[in-house]
Amino acid sequence: MVKYYPLIPVLAIYLVMFLIGFYIEGMWQMVALLAFYCALGQSWNIFMGMTGYVDFGYVTFIALGTYGMALGISYTHQYEWLGIGIIFIGLILALFLASLSALLESFIALRLRGAYFAIACIGINEGLKHFIEGARIWGGSDGIIFYGALIQAFGRETSNHLTAFWADFAVFIIAALAAILNIYYMRSKIGYALTAVREDEDAAKVMGINTTKYKTIAFLTSGLLGAAVGAFAWGVKLAHVYPGDVFVIHYTIECIVVVLLGGAGTLLGPVVGGLVYGLSKYWLAVVLPGFQLLVFAPIIIIIIVVFPEGIIGFVKQKTKSTPLARYII
Amino acid sequence: MALLKLENITKTFGGLMALNDVSLEIEHGELIAIVGPNGAGKTTLFNIISGVYRPDKGKIIFEERDITRMPAYKRAPLGFGRTFQIPRPFNSATVRENVAVGAMFGSLAGKVSVDDSLEIADRYIELVGLEAHKDKEAGSLTPVEKKMMEMARALAMKPKLLLMDEAMAGMHPKDIDEMVRFLKKIKEKENIAVVSMVEHVMRAVVGLAERVMVMHQGSKLVDAKTEEALTEPRVIEVYLGRPPDESK
Amino acid sequence: MILQLLAGNLIHGLLLGGVYGLATMGLSLIFGVMNVVNVGHGAFIMVGAFITLTLFSVLGISPVLAIPVALLMGMALGFFFFYTVMRRLIKAPELASLLATFAIGILLEEVVKLIFGADFRGYNWGLGKIVLPITVIPLSKIYAFIGSIVIALFLYFWFSKTRLGTAVRAVVEDSEGARVCGVNVGWIYALSFAIGIGLTVMSGVMLTMFIPVGINPYMGGVYTLKAFVIAVLGGLSSPYGAFFAGLIFGLIENGAYVLFAQIPGVAPFPLTVSLAFWMLFFLLLIKPTGLLGKK
Repeated sequence: MVKYYPLIPVLAIYLVMFLIGFYIEGMWQMVALLAFYCALGQSWNIFMGMTGYVDFGYVTFIALGTYGMALGISYTHQYEWLGIGIIFIGLILALFLASLSALLESFIALRLRGAYFAIACIGINEGLKHFIEGARIWGGSDGIIFYGALIQAFGRETSNHLTAFWADFAVFIIAALAAILNIYYMRSKIGYALTAVREDEDAAKVMGINTTKYKTIAFLTSGLLGAAVGAFAWGVKLAHVYPGDVFVIHYTIECIVVVLLGGAGTLLGPVVGGLVYGLSKYWLAVVLPGFQLLVFAPIIIIIIVVFPEGIIGFVKQKTKSTPLARYII
Repeated sequence: MALLKLENITKTFGGLMALNDVSLEIEHGELIAIVGPNGAGKTTLFNIISGVYRPDKGKIIFEERDITRMPAYKRAPLGFGRTFQIPRPFNSATVRENVAVGAMFGSLAGKVSVDDSLEIADRYIELVGLEAHKDKEAGSLTPVEKKMMEMARALAMKPKLLLMDEAMAGMHPKDIDEMVRFLKKIKEKENIAVVSMVEHVMRAVVGLAERVMVMHQGSKLVDAKTEEALTEPRVIEVYLGRPPDESK
Repeated sequence: MILQLLAGNLIHGLLLGGVYGLATMGLSLIFGVMNVVNVGHGAFIMVGAFITLTLFSVLGISPVLAIPVALLMGMALGFFFFYTVMRRLIKAPELASLLATFAIGILLEEVVKLIFGADFRGYNWGLGKIVLPITVIPLSKIYAFIGSIVIALFLYFWFSKTRLGTAVRAVVEDSEGARVCGVNVGWIYALSFAIGIGLTVMSGVMLTMFIPVGINPYMGGVYTLKAFVIAVLGGLSSPYGAFFAGLIFGLIENGAYVLFAQIPGVAPFPLTVSLAFWMLFFLLLIKPTGLLGKK
């Protein structure tokens, strides 16, 4: 069980966040935003943090998750007997769309390395967005608006509850799940294989590691978690989806900043990164509205150049061979 | 029954003939040195055996099984271990984790848990004398330590055949003697066939190998018992740099 | 009728293709020399567009004169970002340079937004046009095309006839070998990055000559992506390959638009954009190893 001690600080942080949001008036929106970044950071970390591949197209999964939820709810809301089941149908559709695209992408993109992989992923994201707009599927550029469907299915009060509380609550659950999966992978063969892939993929193959298999596992896991976050944080919460709003690469960049800030490939890193990023974004939106990116761009550059191991990477070095070390990875 | 059989292997890169009709048989537990100057095709041969490249022509038989088209990652569990000319540790992982990767995905793959692998790793780390560095990041080791770590990683794969790429290049003569003694011990204890590739450390060849295969410009020049091979005129020619046709 | 439309569009496609080619040469040059994919590529095109716009609408200076200004400013930006950021990342993992160039792109966009705002802008050069039986071509488009070809030729001669150009080619082939032969590789990296950025900013000028509207801080994204497709089509590390691939891409894009417009119920413009990415996908699918070649 000692192996899983590092989960303790992570889950404790989530619990404290939840309690603050739940009991202190006016804090819920902020902790929900923080949970969103923590969940995305951890989901993204499973693939990129562990393999070192840069997936600029990660937002594709979040977007498809949102679409899955939108389609699920808008097609099934008239069947009253389904009740809350329509949310689950939406989630299943979200996961289905994401795994479809993850498998297609991993078939093609995971055979590529480095720059080619990054280019291919951006290509898939933009290709999909313009295809939805161009071929006018799923409402084309007009998107899908399903708040009406929610109200029809659940009534106004329950719908409000769903969008204002339960959607965010689901994000908390996904964040906790992502943390568990992160540490489970790190402690199992998968984590060892992915570290080998990150450090020297060709040597890994000669050592007997089926690199494609392990990369696909990580890619799929990471994508499904991202889709689940999208389904709730964008889908249920906002009750609408437009291709121009969701297939936006800047969200991928936010994930990257969160993970790098905290420390790529660590468990606690994306959580700390999510908190720091989320809080500073929240604060900047108040003091410098509209200029968050202007502030973040140089920060990214500075982190990459002088501080590549991130906050937790740094703390890990400092706490090495102290009793704290067993709680921090 | 031969452990590994290479039949008429040919490999070209662009127009360049890297290997020309090379055949080789290796028995269980045999110690073979593949000798040849830079560019003789040794590394290509290793890459063909471990599955990094596919040959253009020829067959590779491992324990009577045709593995010519088998990808590298499937060969390792059959009993292949390999070290590299320039060590290729997984830098950010600790020495222990590096060696455990060998145990996890080598011939014991599927039979050992992560914890078992870490224990196996500890044994081999002790064997190569790196206990003190066990929890260090592999990237922080000295070059010689990295070579020893790779050796432990390859041995933790429990191979039947160990391919050692220039294992002794750049090493101090004292370290070489130690390495040779170490390899002989391993070979006797675990019955591993060792194919060691060397450019010109003839001293190590004599100390280690029972058989020597000399390569020159992609072809097999000589394949004989060590003492015979070292007195063979053609070998001397290659090493003294005289063009082969002068002797005719 | 449709054939006439197609032929007319293909002429525009060829002209635009020349500009695309120029817009990709910088990306290929930087990748060839430093093995860095400039993910912020489009932002430098945007900078070129704003240079042209400002010179023309504020100072009344012709876009033709904006070309040398763009080259100089681009090279200055290139040297600046090389010495502050890129120099430290040459030996770092690919992740680092991908993220750094992306962040540089965002930084440029945000700085331009800070100065000019996020509105869509445009200018009207009013040069006149050539009327052909099948289509009408504004003269500015022809200028952009000719300008692109002249610059591409300049680069070609610089590469093949000058000492410095030869040194750059040597570094592309084998940077270690070049170092041994006495080439100052660090300086070649800096210079190539600066020239690559200079070319890209210049192509931004050409693009506004071609499409003098829609200039805004975020216009670059779509060109980054098109440049990727073109660069991969042209072999990624070859600037000339990129130029010819640009011509092909321009033709396909404009041709496909006409054909998509015939399909009822679709939006032909985004569909054409998505085509570029299906092409990229397909290219990477059929030839991933060949493209991975450089080692």
